[in-house]
Amino acid sequence: MSVEVVSGNHAAGYALSVAGEANRAARGASCGIYPITPQSEIVEYVASFPFHKSRVVPVESEHSAMAVSMGASLAGARAFTASSSNGIAYMVENIMVAGYYRLPIVMVAVNRTLGPPWNIWADQGDTLMLRDFPWIQFYAEDNQEVLDTTLMAFRLAEDHRILLPALIAMDAFIVSHTQAETVLPDQSVVDRYLPELDLPHRLLHEDPKTLGGLAWPEVAMSLRLEIDEAMDRVDEVFAECRAAFLDVFERDPGGAIETLGTEDAEIVIVVSSSIATTAREIVKRRREAGERIGFVKIKMFRPFPERALREACSAANKVAVLDRNYAAGVGGIFWQEAKAAFQGYRDDLIIQDYLTGLCGGDVTPPMIDEVIADIMARTAETKPVWMTAI
Amino acid sequence: MLESAKNTMVEIRIHGRGGQGGVTLAKLIATSRFLQGQSVQAFGLYAAERSGAPIQAFCRYSDDTIHNRNLIYEPDHVIVLDPTLVGPGITGGLKPGGWILINTPASPDTLQEQFPSNRLATVDATSIARRNKLGTRTVPIVNTALAGAAARMLDFDLDEMRAAVEHLGFGGSNLTAAEEAYDQLEVFEPATLPAVSRSKVASSTGLYHADEERGPSFVEGAGGGLPGIETGLWATEQPHRQQFVPPCNHVCPAGNDVQGFLAALANDDVDNALAIIVRTSPFPSICGRVCPAPCMASCNRIELDEAVNVRQLERYAGDHGQATVKPVTTRDEHIAVIGSGPAGLTAAYHLARLGYYVTIYEQGWEIGGLLRTGIPGYRLPSDVLDREIGRILSLGVDVEVGESIDRNRMLELTQSHDAVLVATGLQELQALRLGVGDTEAVEQGIDFLDRSHRGEVRVDDEHVVIVGGGNTAMDAARSALRLGATNSQVIYRRTRTEMPAIKEEIEEALQEGVAIDFLIQPITLRINEGGASNEGRHVLACRRMELGEPDESGRRRPVEVAGSDFEIECDRVILALGQSPDVSVFPEGTEVRQGQELLGLLETPVYAIGDLATRDGTVAGAIGSGRRSALHIHNTLNDIDVPVTRQTESSGNVEVWHDEVIRSDSLKLHLFERRPATDGVAIAPEVRRTTFDEIHAGLTDPSEAKRCLSCGVCNSCDLCVTFCPEGVLKRVGTDLIFDYSHCKGCGICVTECPRNVVFMSHL
Repeated sequence: MSVEVVSGNHAAGYALSVAGEANRAARGASCGIYPITPQSEIVEYVASFPFHKSRVVPVESEHSAMAVSMGASLAGARAFTASSSNGIAYMVENIMVAGYYRLPIVMVAVNRTLGPPWNIWADQGDTLMLRDFPWIQFYAEDNQEVLDTTLMAFRLAEDHRILLPALIAMDAFIVSHTQAETVLPDQSVVDRYLPELDLPHRLLHEDPKTLGGLAWPEVAMSLRLEIDEAMDRVDEVFAECRAAFLDVFERDPGGAIETLGTEDAEIVIVVSSSIATTAREIVKRRREAGERIGFVKIKMFRPFPERALREACSAANKVAVLDRNYAAGVGGIFWQEAKAAFQGYRDDLIIQDYLTGLCGGDVTPPMIDEVIADIMARTAETKPVWMTAI
Repeated sequence: MLESAKNTMVEIRIHGRGGQGGVTLAKLIATSRFLQGQSVQAFGLYAAERSGAPIQAFCRYSDDTIHNRNLIYEPDHVIVLDPTLVGPGITGGLKPGGWILINTPASPDTLQEQFPSNRLATVDATSIARRNKLGTRTVPIVNTALAGAAARMLDFDLDEMRAAVEHLGFGGSNLTAAEEAYDQLEVFEPATLPAVSRSKVASSTGLYHADEERGPSFVEGAGGGLPGIETGLWATEQPHRQQFVPPCNHVCPAGNDVQGFLAALANDDVDNALAIIVRTSPFPSICGRVCPAPCMASCNRIELDEAVNVRQLERYAGDHGQATVKPVTTRDEHIAVIGSGPAGLTAAYHLARLGYYVTIYEQGWEIGGLLRTGIPGYRLPSDVLDREIGRILSLGVDVEVGESIDRNRMLELTQSHDAVLVATGLQELQALRLGVGDTEAVEQGIDFLDRSHRGEVRVDDEHVVIVGGGNTAMDAARSALRLGATNSQVIYRRTRTEMPAIKEEIEEALQEGVAIDFLIQPITLRINEGGASNEGRHVLACRRMELGEPDESGRRRPVEVAGSDFEIECDRVILALGQSPDVSVFPEGTEVRQGQELLGLLETPVYAIGDLATRDGTVAGAIGSGRRSALHIHNTLNDIDVPVTRQTESSGNVEVWHDEVIRSDSLKLHLFERRPATDGVAIAPEVRRTTFDEIHAGLTDPSEAKRCLSCGVCNSCDLCVTFCPEGVLKRVGTDLIFDYSHCKGCGICVTECPRNVVFMSHL
């Protein structure tokens, strides 16, 4: 193990590479990969990694990048890729196919505003557009969480009870390009955490078969139900992955959500990604001043940890959801999910949406204070509040 | 130097330009703290930066874990990598008493007035980087030097920064640079720092509520994007527009703006094309038929496929365009022009346009000189000649025909006129003594053509031998066919390579059935005393030649081959051996030089022009001589100095004019499509050899002009405008406007310009 000052992209590239390398005794590692700002450093990292058994395929587009990764995965390789923003939009058709093919592909996504207007900064809209696909989704707060969650994602996705692809998102620049001290676990330790990939529906020359051919409604529907059941098992398997991580790496990588002070909080601030760092500090400070404010960070977005969120807010009467994303005509997407989670359970709860730092805006401590002041004064929900620091 | 920074978070903001290594400097400082066990962050503020753009980078370090993922609004210290960035902007939010470290050779106390509330440190990192060969001379990479300077300023141990430089894999000269800067840092700490509040920060921690204060609308505003950023500050180079001399313009003996009229034709503007030509030449329809077209021989397009068919395009403009020519003013001076060939007519044309009274004195009864008598109608129909001469006479030029000028008459003209131009051409015919024979059987080519023109000669069933290799020989040989000859045979004492005739004329003559035999010198002609074949009435004794060393004309001299004599039976011998000037009109001993004042008789300038002066022998050369002489006289009479230059017109805001000719290696030929030249339709050889009707029909449209590469002259192709990634290159009419405040100097306009019009200059 070593601690280095590296960027979030470097951390992601490292995690994808050592995870792929951990499969060297089996079918190796492979990815189709295509660069885009602000993800390019990941491409550079995996392309120069000295794999023992791998094929890193530079392709002409994101769509083909996922196609290559799907082919590799079906052949039994540990497959991964990375992209961002409009590149993800272009990749969408194959992202969807990978999910319905039940391929445990891991994708690192750097959250960047979908253009136009042209904007390279952080916004979760690109990966949240995939929310209805059969993909597990994580939103990482910092470099270390990017690395840890990526390693866990392989173990989770490849578990035979799951067999779904997984995505790890990080904020553009705020995480992807910020260099900070990060624990880079040794290959030998990663080898212990990630067993060799054994894809049950792997394509074999000696046993040819067709995947995804014509299915009558009742068959297709049953396949959807299978996915739903696999999604239901994610909580349980993820908990095992977390425990195993603690065992192997001797660090707790955290769960699907993280809470602070929710046991007595009347007001709970719900956040994701890098905003969590700033919000956590504000909540800590104000709790030290005696205020009954709680903090929830949602790391796993899909499947949405609704039970955990309900429990975390059991003492609260108001919830402020901070969204760095926007669903047209609706509002923040984490807010929608939260609303659905409480529907029928806590109809008394005021759940207010704050669209903060959209399109890469800086979410500063005074802004969090302003959110808290607003939610404190509230007696009813309104349409989302749009704000950013300037 | 600095009070202990322990137990507090330190935040540093770095101002630099893209390419100087600002983000890496942030990482170097962060790494040096990380290696001492502190928590760190290093990051840049990324946008649409390119090399040279102002950038910001940030660095934080703290003993405690950093719980902050925001930008740095209130830095403890500021580092400036590029002295040109020093200004009020660098202190935004800077804490009073914080350090400002600037890369500059200036001493820090000189900055005290500008930054009174801060500690100041300077180091000449640029020189250090250059000395250590870091980066390039124009963009030295100064980050490792400034890392050393920052270490000293922030009171780190030099070894701690050395460790960081090495940890990031920079060794050698980077390490030396850091050490040198550490040693050379100069500091200035004011005795008392004024108690001022924090600087007002433009981008502080203010909040923006989108529902209260709106930005520009996407649909009603400028698409919601950023306002234009003034990128000109980043540029190290700027594009400009230049113009070269196209080779066609350079070589045109008439001085025509060839590229200019081709551009007009390419735009289907035939009238404008003609207007451009008649600025210099009154004879586009004539030159478009008979010019040897050196423009085509020098055409850069030959390197791509084949020359632009300039000759036919000039004819097209002359035959189809409409142009009005008028005198620009009226003047009192009278000018005499002796001779009505192309030189005399051109001089008269330009002088009349300048407003002079001009009288042409022609010894014959028709005007046009050799244009009329020496060029057969199948090449130059007389109605074409009449039309172009008519344009000259319409300017009010008087003509006196039947006026033979001798020395006495010459003297009179100098007394009655303000200037006299002598354009009598080459009248002395080169003779060849062929011994005793039937003198009627030997004739000069010029005379033969003249008689042919007047319908006074037939050569039915004759075997005609033409001696010579020039255009007169070709014209005579081809005319002989049309006049009934069964055999038209040219004999030439050198080879085809040395033939001075126009290439196309030679080819057409051969197509029509003219025989051309090389390396033959005629010796004597005698009456055929009844040879066996009785093929002709005469016998021409000839001798074979071979080529020896080059003579003064550069052509290889023919040398007789001993014992090679042979005979040709023939009926007629036409001599086309060239002409020389008849200078009998001038006093004896007169030296004839083009454009020179010859005599000071009664202070009246007398000029010899055209072939008389130049012996050039082409219509185009005569036109050029006539025009230059006219301008020369104009300058002399008015004691002015209008330059008699060739015509390369500007169409727009040319910044730099080059006198040099642009060659194909300066063009981007790969950007042009290959396309063969188009030519006018010619009558079949077997038909045309029987008639004096014009053999070429001319072009049916001017689209051939679109093949012109417009070498070195902007033709508004707008590739530069199209490919400018910043959209700052605009065309206004024929002007190219470079918006330098938004030009970053990428040079794509230069790369895309096929004709070397756009070029970069270093700033």
